[in-house]
Amino acid sequence: MPRLTVNGKEIEVPAGTNLIEAARHAGVEVPHYCYHPGLSIAGQCRLCMVDIEKTPRPTIACNTLAADGMVVSTETDRVRETRKSIMEFHLINHPLDCPVCDQAGECWLQIYYMQHGLYDPRMTDEKVHKPKAVPLGPHVMLDAERCILCSRCVRFCDEITHTGELGIFSRGDHSEIGLFPGTELDNKYSGNVVDICPVGALTDRDFRFQVRVWYLESAKSVCPGCARGCNIEVHVNRRRPHHAEGRRVARLKPRFNADVNRWWLCDAGRYGFAPVDAADRLLVPTRRDGETTTAATWDEAIAAVAAALRRWPADEIGVIASPKMANEDLMALRRVLDARAIRQVGFDVPPRDPGDEDSFLIRADKSPNALGAELVGLGGDARAVVAAARGRRLKCLWVFGHDLLASRWPEAEVLEALRAVETLIFTGANANRTSARAHWVLPAAAWVERDGTYTNFEGRVQRFRLAVEPLGQALAEWEMLGRILAALGETSTATRAEHWFRQLTGAVPAFAGLSYQSIGDTGRVLTRDAPARS
Amino acid sequence: MSGEAILTRNFARSDSHTLGVYRETGGYQAWAKAQAMEPTAILDEVKRSNLRGLGGAGFPTGTKWSFIPKNHPGPVYLVINADEGEPGTFKDRYLLERDPHALIEGMLIAARAIGSATGFVYVRGEYVEPWRRFAAAVREAYEARYLGSGFDIVVHRGAGAYICGEETGLISSLEGKKGWPKLKPPFPAIKGAFGAPTIVNNVETICQVPHIINRGAEWFAGLGTKTQGGTRMYSVSGRVARPAVYETSVSITLRQLIYDLAGGVTGNGKLKAVVPGGSSAAILTADEIDVTMDVDGLRNAGTMAGSAGVIVMDETVSIPEALMVVARFYAHESCGQCTPCRESTGWIYKMTRRIVERRGRKEDLDTILDVAKRGAGTTICAFYDGAVGPYISYIEKFRGEFEALVPK
Amino acid sequence: MKGRDDAPAAPTFSEAQLAEVHRLQALYPDPQGALLPALHLAQEAFGYISLETEEYVAGLFNLSPAHVHEVVTFYTLYFRERPGRHVVSVCHNLSCHLAGAPAIIAHLKTRLGVAPGETTADGRVTLLSVECLCACEAAPMMQVDDRYELDLTPAKVDQILGSLA
Repeated sequence: MPRLTVNGKEIEVPAGTNLIEAARHAGVEVPHYCYHPGLSIAGQCRLCMVDIEKTPRPTIACNTLAADGMVVSTETDRVRETRKSIMEFHLINHPLDCPVCDQAGECWLQIYYMQHGLYDPRMTDEKVHKPKAVPLGPHVMLDAERCILCSRCVRFCDEITHTGELGIFSRGDHSEIGLFPGTELDNKYSGNVVDICPVGALTDRDFRFQVRVWYLESAKSVCPGCARGCNIEVHVNRRRPHHAEGRRVARLKPRFNADVNRWWLCDAGRYGFAPVDAADRLLVPTRRDGETTTAATWDEAIAAVAAALRRWPADEIGVIASPKMANEDLMALRRVLDARAIRQVGFDVPPRDPGDEDSFLIRADKSPNALGAELVGLGGDARAVVAAARGRRLKCLWVFGHDLLASRWPEAEVLEALRAVETLIFTGANANRTSARAHWVLPAAAWVERDGTYTNFEGRVQRFRLAVEPLGQALAEWEMLGRILAALGETSTATRAEHWFRQLTGAVPAFAGLSYQSIGDTGRVLTRDAPARS
Repeated sequence: MSGEAILTRNFARSDSHTLGVYRETGGYQAWAKAQAMEPTAILDEVKRSNLRGLGGAGFPTGTKWSFIPKNHPGPVYLVINADEGEPGTFKDRYLLERDPHALIEGMLIAARAIGSATGFVYVRGEYVEPWRRFAAAVREAYEARYLGSGFDIVVHRGAGAYICGEETGLISSLEGKKGWPKLKPPFPAIKGAFGAPTIVNNVETICQVPHIINRGAEWFAGLGTKTQGGTRMYSVSGRVARPAVYETSVSITLRQLIYDLAGGVTGNGKLKAVVPGGSSAAILTADEIDVTMDVDGLRNAGTMAGSAGVIVMDETVSIPEALMVVARFYAHESCGQCTPCRESTGWIYKMTRRIVERRGRKEDLDTILDVAKRGAGTTICAFYDGAVGPYISYIEKFRGEFEALVPK
Repeated sequence: MKGRDDAPAAPTFSEAQLAEVHRLQALYPDPQGALLPALHLAQEAFGYISLETEEYVAGLFNLSPAHVHEVVTFYTLYFRERPGRHVVSVCHNLSCHLAGAPAIIAHLKTRLGVAPGETTADGRVTLLSVECLCACEAAPMMQVDDRYELDLTPAKVDQILGSLA
């Protein structure tokens, strides 16, 4: 373990640590562009220069390994001056696009050049011109003039996705990032190149011109798109509601987690947040009598559902829970079902199309919490529940989230089942053909609108947090279930998701000993006895 | 003062490139002698000869060879840099065309010294006839069993990029990629071509090796200066009466080279400036030509021996125009990998062009100097430092001429 | 990865040429080392390197077309469009410049009616203005196809042009 000094501070780092990472250990950030801890070393930008005692010239930090006794200085006059020179080189041909560039506000050219006071360029010749606003694929837009040729995107496509779509063509100051002519950047992780591009050369087509980044707020969350549970940030726009066509969620970004997704996020997850602000969001509790649908209050809806659960014997009530529900929601549902001894419950509704899977991040199971639902004991035979409904053995069917008519089950059979029950209750965030048939619709908050936890396929419990307030009167499932529990005469003191999580740790052995605090920002794996879900 | 012709001894013969002539004049005897020597003895002989690299960097050859890890379990590669491209230099072209077997014999001996079984000869793509000549010699050497008995040569053509003359740029190109130089460390002797320990040497450097083995290190060292042994081939061109290759001891002075060997300035004109070591070497004024043309002599004079490409300029030459031509070269040949070189070579060319076209601004000169000084030493390879040589020396030494073209 | 569905089919190597590519690939510790030689072979065989040829060669080397495109666009000797029957490359670097290269280039422009970088309308000559060809002792000079033509004068240039079919 080499011991070295960075800016006067003595640190010890693992062997094989480069000086950028070593400096981070000492709390020092060395400015850089081309270096990325998840990619190979390029050493091209020349910005990460540092002074090392006994070395005649500043040296790049990314390609220098920490060695015993090294004395590193990152803020000497000579290093600052070198950095300023390098910044000027980067700006020589860079277009003055800031007013129209999405990267403004999070652009590392802006950030570093302002730090070095390079406000007055002495380059007054014609800059090199290259293609602008070139769509590379469905998600990524290229502006080749803005590109600083750090090669991060090229290395990403070579080393992470192994698809090799991008290259740096030609040479000298005519060098240009691009695709092989006639091809597309259409791998399943294309959006990551936008994250790693330090400047506005690669930008997100979905986010293009939507809202300035300084209006965004961020919440730590977990992608609900599949059982991997990639860690993300949800960026919301509260302050400029007239931008981005009123979309509250502006974009998702991956959040580093060494054990789950590292720096990366798949495109399906990254661009899958449209339902959150879609026009088909369920906003108020509704009741349907025949063809007529009327809005109701929560008190009315809660009372009606509690009444339905009391009216019929337990064996005439069936529940299709959702593996997209949070652990807290599932725990609350468990309590409600136990209160009425309802046993016919399942969650496994097969999708019409089998989900895609790869050897990287994407899981075929497109729900974030199947393992959670299983551990909470809701993993019964969902098909049997629907069959019971169809066979007129169920009077009440309560569906969470699913559109049963869009599943792999024969549509005609499902239709019969839905028609056969006397009371069909639907709880979910977005309307669908099942909710259209429900007698009672309880609007649920979307995943970005509340706190909770998911259990990924490896048994890692991860927190997701509220990013924006629920739309309309939508409530988190745990909250409406808590109120139903109370309406059933049970005591329920839970007022936060965390309270339900505590109940979970007490009720389900696999979760014993966990807490929101111990889960932290990177999650916690369940105890050894928890079955992993294949 | 040219002394004995060693490398160039056979050049006058029209069939000098053939195996017959080469053997006739003592060829492959050094190889026979080397085969009876221990590799360490060969290496030691070359070290003591004070042979310095003749491609541009002037690094002591024996020392370079000694960086190969001893008893390395995997392959070791010997790569010959025949990507001659430094403006003003043409000596390797002569060697490839007129004495290709000298290179082959030198390679055999060098390979034995470093433990290599495979040599790659990287010939610049434009050198089609030299490539054919050399490939024919390789075939002859295979037929005569010099090659294929423990050492193979792969002849590889480049495709047009000056940067492939940089040793790690060459390696990248040999590996089937763009000629992007590699980060150092690791150095090629540790991790080079295809990840294996590699020695990259210039054509002329290796052609010296058979003579060192035949006649000994002391003899070779004695031909030159205290710190650089032997002769070398000076490529002399420009405003000189007899532009040609001249082989002479490295202790020769630039004055002697121009006036005693190359016939002096064309038409007895007045000397103005000399580029002593290829375009990347800082220019010397007419007052600075009493310098010895060895690596250390030229370094101490603030320039470099480089590839020994000597370009003579007389009073009729416009230094600003010369700088523009040279700046255009560096802008065209910048590989683009790292930021300072990629962005500023193009910009500096634009400025020199404006100056020559009388659209320069008075601050342009100091801008060029400042940008060049800021970029020097910050790049992945020495290409930019080679560009900086002329950028700074032409302007600093001939400032008046530049100032005459820009507004006061 | 999607290919270029609407592109014309690439010419392919003959059996013998393919055998040569494989022979070359075996010479290098990593077969990718044979890429530059294989591209030279393709240019000889097909006249120039089209995008289809890049894709074809990429397939022979198990490389993404983008990485072959990188190589083809980096080096100056690979033609991406069919050149004239003859390629005339005049050196415009320092020693040749001092020896009068600009005048030679101007002369060629007049004689051929094209600027450097262009091909004559009859497809006979592509004129290029290039960096140091390392024949400075015989400046000004040019490369015509495979050979160097040295010590040029306008008269010599005319003679050489006259010999090009």
